[in-house]
Amino acid sequence: MLARCSVGALALTAVMVTTISAARAHDETKYPDWSGQWLRTGGIQWDPSKPIGRGQQASLTPEYQAIFEASLADQAKGGAGNDPRYSCFPVGMPRLMSVIFPMEFIFTPKVTYILFENNMPRRIYTDGRGWPKNPDQHPDQHPEPTFAGYSLGQWIDADGDGRYDTLEVETRYMKGPRTYEGTGLPLHKDNQTVVKERIALDKSNLDRMHDEITTIDNALTRPWTVTKTYRRERNVTWFENDCTEDNHHIGIGSEHYFLSADGYLMPAKKGQAPPDLRYFSQGKR
Amino acid sequence: MRRQLTALLSVAFVVTSGAVLAHHSFAMFDQENPVELEGVVQEFKFTSPHTFIILEVKGEGGSQLWSLEGAAPSALVRDGWSSKTLKPGDELKLTVEPLRSGAPGGSWAVSKTKYKNGQPIVISH
Repeated sequence: MLARCSVGALALTAVMVTTISAARAHDETKYPDWSGQWLRTGGIQWDPSKPIGRGQQASLTPEYQAIFEASLADQAKGGAGNDPRYSCFPVGMPRLMSVIFPMEFIFTPKVTYILFENNMPRRIYTDGRGWPKNPDQHPDQHPEPTFAGYSLGQWIDADGDGRYDTLEVETRYMKGPRTYEGTGLPLHKDNQTVVKERIALDKSNLDRMHDEITTIDNALTRPWTVTKTYRRERNVTWFENDCTEDNHHIGIGSEHYFLSADGYLMPAKKGQAPPDLRYFSQGKR
Repeated sequence: MRRQLTALLSVAFVVTSGAVLAHHSFAMFDQENPVELEGVVQEFKFTSPHTFIILEVKGEGGSQLWSLEGAAPSALVRDGWSSKTLKPGDELKLTVEPLRSGAPGGSWAVSKTKYKNGQPIVISH
């Protein structure tokens, strides 16, 4: 009995030591208070300081300006243009940071997570790892592209008060197609995008957060920097927001249709042809 | 049917934001030419990514079901709405942005939706 108690005590001591070590490894007092729910303060456009669409004045290459113009022209007729989001297609970086629905930050010793109400989370690795040295020679170390991309982050104590206040993030290895906003403002198909962010609270209002986002992309003639501002909601209500539950926007081929109240396809555009039914039997009904 | 329904539809020159439909481009809805509908709620779908009001609109030749897309449930919840705010049988008068195709679909917004008698929608905070 005594021996059993001693083993139990030793095991408990070991657990406590492990716990204390883990707590020391992640000293919460070193991190800023980013708790609560963060909501966008502006509209749904990419650069919140400018109007959506052409008003963004994106410095696109001629090839990508033509893609953008075609998207706007299709949308003017009621189409979805270059933006596949209507069909629940995933949102990627950097558009995720438009935070259409609220987000939440979770800090752990090696990873900072950004959870979105209606999108997959972002994982920002803060464990000091570097980019794969030579991905072609080490394909096992080469992250598979994802819409959110692969993010490395570094906590900074910018004001030198002994506590981190800024998270610097760089994101690469993204998957496409991706757009900045619902107008179909495009990123390059080569998916070589690099996104650099600097996230910090507003010093004059701790319930405001700024994310300075610089996008480097081959569809642009120069890097594009915008600043997003989010507001903190402390009285938090979270809600399930799964796009696939009851989406009435149907994409078939390059066309977008809308579901009727009784579950049939309806045209979205004036004069829109029905889908190509070549693989259906066209016999008498 | 479409022609018969036009008696019920009047163009309302209202500038609308459409921003509540943030899940995707809302270009399929004609924001420059909203229409006014009166009808009876058949179903209030409190579903993601968008809520829907299925509205029965009566015309001279019969009735037609309109499929009206609204804000996400989470956005409505934060405005005090719930899945029980609208019930089948509620009579509504609302200004919607219709599908550009002319099919019986469109988008609805809280700020442009009232009971048929002109009273605002009752919500509980």
